[in-house]
Amino acid sequence: MALRGVWQLQKLVVSYCNWGGSSRGIRAFMESELPALKQKNPQLEVVTELSRGQHPYLKGIYRNRNERVVCVKNMDPEQVLLNATRLRNSLGRKVVKRRTRHVTKHPSVQGTWTTAVKF
Amino acid sequence: MASLRCIRELSRRATTVLSINQTRSICYLPAIEVSGTSISHGTVISNRSLTRDLPCDEGEESSEGEDEDDEDYEDSADTEVEREYSPAEKVEEAAEIGYKVMGPLKPSERLFKPYEPVFAIVQIGSHQFKVSNGDSIFTEKLKFCDINDKLVLTKVLLLGSASQTIIGRPILPDATVHAVVEEHALDEKVLIFKKKRRKNYRRTRGHRQELTKLRITDIQGIEKPEPKIVYKPSKEAVTEQSKAELVA
Repeated sequence: MALRGVWQLQKLVVSYCNWGGSSRGIRAFMESELPALKQKNPQLEVVTELSRGQHPYLKGIYRNRNERVVCVKNMDPEQVLLNATRLRNSLGRKVVKRRTRHVTKHPSVQGTWTTAVKF
Repeated sequence: MASLRCIRELSRRATTVLSINQTRSICYLPAIEVSGTSISHGTVISNRSLTRDLPCDEGEESSEGEDEDDEDYEDSADTEVEREYSPAEKVEEAAEIGYKVMGPLKPSERLFKPYEPVFAIVQIGSHQFKVSNGDSIFTEKLKFCDINDKLVLTKVLLLGSASQTIIGRPILPDATVHAVVEEHALDEKVLIFKKKRRKNYRRTRGHRQELTKLRITDIQGIEKPEPKIVYKPSKEAVTEQSKAELVA
């Protein structure tokens, strides 16, 4: 996620529990894949938080001050990596259904056709 | 399939037996037997086409559509087939879809220019878009590119500006459109609801499509008008042109 070359995800908070079984996957992820993720994204600030007795989650904080929280309880480390990569890959915008797949501010170059135009 | 193989074996043995006897009329029998079976549809089909039929019936079709030959699925639960692509394969498949990865964007580069009144019709996969400088496009997920990658879209069908139009047959080989990958994200969830009334059948399913957002930075292959300092230059050029046409 980068709007005109500017990365949108500023901070990734990895919250886990060191006792609970639902955090097993994310604990394995933190040992195996998190350092690689940190290295590949030097612009990203990754913070690990310990919250005992709670289910683990990934929280992404974006430049437009939007927070996206993804619960990763009972997930494999590969699935946790996929979710973290998805957070990193997206802009912080609200996901809404678009009518068109083309977003432009200048829809016409040669002039919009009307019935009065004659070639 | 198995029955046809049996028939083939039998026919082969029959032909060997008959060749020893060397009688012409009986030699025709195995051919008639094979063609008479309903499986072969009246002709002997080659092995390749037969083997191709089976996986299509049994296995699920992959959503990516990358299969050239029969593929063994690793996980039956995954609809996508995970393949290891060599760099040459990546470039080739990307070129087929209609784009080329140039490399990551360096932070010192200034790619994002102000608007130019030039447009191009570009094809990515099976979708065509009319793009201009500074537009964003949502396409199906492009596999071999990361965020902040520069792309060159090679399938350009038409170039146009205020004074000139260049039409490709079907593509223009010298035209290029430069773009930058902005995000790989999931679209909003759509609910697929199926119901057959009075038959006790109701199914609900959710689907999120994976999309890639590209921002178009540059169009090359056509003469661009010189940038004027006046506000809204494109409108003026257009009205001048239309007036000239009316006069002519």
